[in-house]
Amino acid sequence: MQKKLTLGFFFTLFLATTFLPIVWMFGNSVYEEGRFSFAYYRDIFLTLKYGKVIANSLILATITTIISSFIGVPAGFLLAKTNLPLKKFFKICFFIPLIIPSYITGIAWVNLLGKTGFLNNVFSQYTMLSPESVSDFIYSIYGTSFILSINLFPVVMLVTEYALKCVNPRMEESGLVVGSAFQVFRQITLPLIAPAILSGMMIVFVLSLSEFGVPSLLQVNVLTTQIFTQFSAFYNEKAATAIAFPLIAITLVLIILEQIYLRGKSFEILGRSSSNSTIQYNITWLNVVGITFCTFIQIVCVIIPLSTLIFNTKTIAAYHDAILLARNGITNSILFGSIGATFLTFIGFFLGYLSENIRSKLKSSAAIFIWLFFAVPATVIGVGLIKLCNRPEGIFQFIYGSLWIVIIGYVARFLPLSSRIMSNYLKQIPHSMEEAGTVTGTSWFRVLGNILLPLQGYGLIATWLICFMFCVGELGTTILVYPPGHETLPITLFTIMANSPTDVVSALSIIIVVMTLLPVGVFLAVSKYLIKFQTAQ
Amino acid sequence: MNALEVKQLIKHFNRREVVCGISFCAEREQLLALLGPSGCGKTTTLRMIAGLETPDDGEIWIEGALASHGQKAMISQKQRHIGMVFQDLALWPHMTVYENIEFGLKANSLTRAERRKKIETVLNKVNMQKYAREYPGKLSGGQQQLIAIARAIVTEPRLLLMDEPLSNIDVKLREDIRQEIRRIQQETQITTVYVTHDQEDAFLLADKIAVMNNGMLEQIGSPEEIYSSPASLFVASFVGEANIMQVKIVGKDRVLTPWGELVCNTKSQEGKNAYLFFRPHQATIEDSGYCYGTIINRSFVAGVYKYQVSTNGIEFKLQGQTRHDIGKFIKFSIRKMDILFF
Repeated sequence: MQKKLTLGFFFTLFLATTFLPIVWMFGNSVYEEGRFSFAYYRDIFLTLKYGKVIANSLILATITTIISSFIGVPAGFLLAKTNLPLKKFFKICFFIPLIIPSYITGIAWVNLLGKTGFLNNVFSQYTMLSPESVSDFIYSIYGTSFILSINLFPVVMLVTEYALKCVNPRMEESGLVVGSAFQVFRQITLPLIAPAILSGMMIVFVLSLSEFGVPSLLQVNVLTTQIFTQFSAFYNEKAATAIAFPLIAITLVLIILEQIYLRGKSFEILGRSSSNSTIQYNITWLNVVGITFCTFIQIVCVIIPLSTLIFNTKTIAAYHDAILLARNGITNSILFGSIGATFLTFIGFFLGYLSENIRSKLKSSAAIFIWLFFAVPATVIGVGLIKLCNRPEGIFQFIYGSLWIVIIGYVARFLPLSSRIMSNYLKQIPHSMEEAGTVTGTSWFRVLGNILLPLQGYGLIATWLICFMFCVGELGTTILVYPPGHETLPITLFTIMANSPTDVVSALSIIIVVMTLLPVGVFLAVSKYLIKFQTAQ
Repeated sequence: MNALEVKQLIKHFNRREVVCGISFCAEREQLLALLGPSGCGKTTTLRMIAGLETPDDGEIWIEGALASHGQKAMISQKQRHIGMVFQDLALWPHMTVYENIEFGLKANSLTRAERRKKIETVLNKVNMQKYAREYPGKLSGGQQQLIAIARAIVTEPRLLLMDEPLSNIDVKLREDIRQEIRRIQQETQITTVYVTHDQEDAFLLADKIAVMNNGMLEQIGSPEEIYSSPASLFVASFVGEANIMQVKIVGKDRVLTPWGELVCNTKSQEGKNAYLFFRPHQATIEDSGYCYGTIINRSFVAGVYKYQVSTNGIEFKLQGQTRHDIGKFIKFSIRKMDILFF
């Protein structure tokens, strides 16, 4: 009973923070002056006014997915299947673009390729390209795809690497006895990991479709920026909702198609955990090509953007100015990020537990249902929350005017992610650990407090840090919902970008980078000791 | 009064019936083994007794009290007073041996001193006193096994349930732990239900064996009964070495076998096909034998020669103390009173 009530409570909390605002928003958008009306939807679908915007969104997502896969799949292969020198170093470096908020990478590349940018000068001096054409590139859909690919290729890379490590080495060995390494890779390994790669590509497609920060920075007209404009410039939340509809519909259709495609396809790699006993290809030319490729990717995705920001700041005074400007933002980001991460970890634990312990038939449906909300664009969540909370009644008014609207925004945005991470950690604990506690007749709360939570120590810390990192970098929802005086660091950055000197903007970007990278660094440093402690037990 | 009584227990998973109305009972202080191949429903049955799975129908009685009726739990998990040893042992890695054992005691209102006394007693029982402050990860497989048993019996349960506890340890250690389990069970006199797919475990440990197949109970009885008088073809073939061949009943107590017509008690109708069953040790290789065949394979195991023999393409197993060469034509007799027909 205790268990059912607790899980029911947290699922209701999930519905209230994530599901309800969106349903409320869509409900409102089809209800006009006391009757149902699809006027706004008609405007979008029948007049084709937004045809170009929808097309832009799809082109952006498609190009980003293609580029991310062209970088991510080889990078994942090199990390999993070769003895590349500096492999661990490359792996950590490739994580950085995923951790840094994408708009920061965008700012760095705008500084480089914008009209007065350093690389723009180099290109226009040494090639036939004019400064305008280079600048036009970065401020286009292709430039946006380029930035998003830098940000999202690690997703494909991680999925590919993990899938390759999960392939049973016996499968490949039995092929190597009769065929060449290339033949084995093409005919055995690749087909086995293809469903996993497809899943990675799907995530990239959906995330780039719902991205707001970079298109907004580069002034590219896509669905997410249109939602923001309709809402904050024209105060037309119904039109904003109607524009959000194709985004949600496309995502839903894609997830369903993926599920149909993947049904029964993840054969051999399932049921086996990642292992280091995977077959390695020790081919000299492959190592040479690999190290060249990884170095190039590292330069483009990590070294150039970060060093641009560092060089742009020029003086310590820029940091001083940036801190003065963003003092409030820094405090708020740390405070809101910490509270948000704590809620996300706690609720995520119970949701993860729920999706892991639900009857097997409903298991995949529950996981998909929760995961679906991660694809909901940040701006849509923002509009939904405002629609739900902006009312004169007591509690709503309190939430709407305080930091809690931002915290709820974080929870709504990242709860699917935190519950997914937690459920993956929970998978590693055999059910019998909990059952051994319950057969003693002990209450479920004691089993929870003494067995489940302590066994999850490592998972809880990791989830908290990942959530903190995401909360600190969050822009799309916060920019819509934050009450005056409660702005976070990304909001300060977006506000000062237009009228502050480049060095201050760069310094602020560096501060955000440090704030997002720091928890990961701490975690990597601490995790060694945590693992040592656990194995010592 | 039986310590455990299961009546018409039914359980479905995804519309498939995995436990099909089984009924059995375990007498007090006895060890009952649920024996059967993988997927036969024995673990599901055990989990329903523990209250970890909800039955779809049937009744479970513990110490004369109705614990579960249909889908309704009449006695909560706490009041069932059950100890359980899991297949993977499920020792909590973040707790010491002492804390692992103490966990179940904390649910009862015992003082710290009382708990300490009980833990010391149970650790003495399993000869693991000196490991109280160790973490499970530091112990060997056998030691972990004993701690899992100590954790299960410390609360002095009315029923001890063991779910294939020996399946993950090597053969040599298995023998030692098996003896320890038997000793501990006999000393504590806790009624135990022991699930296994290994007949050696069942025969060496159990007072009573219940053989399960496809969710149904094939036979329940003492180890001797199960071995000598199997009630079904499945039990006959699953337990011990067996020779089974199709024969035809040609008249009253007359059977047509590969060796010609035999006269023995068949209890079957004339003109029907039946299965003839005997165990290798129930046949004797001798020149005056009424059966015959050619040796096609031979092995020497634990002081006994084991032969694979063929008669007109039908193969069966025999054994004896005398060595015969492969290819030799031999004669043998089967004790007629041992021959069974299904």
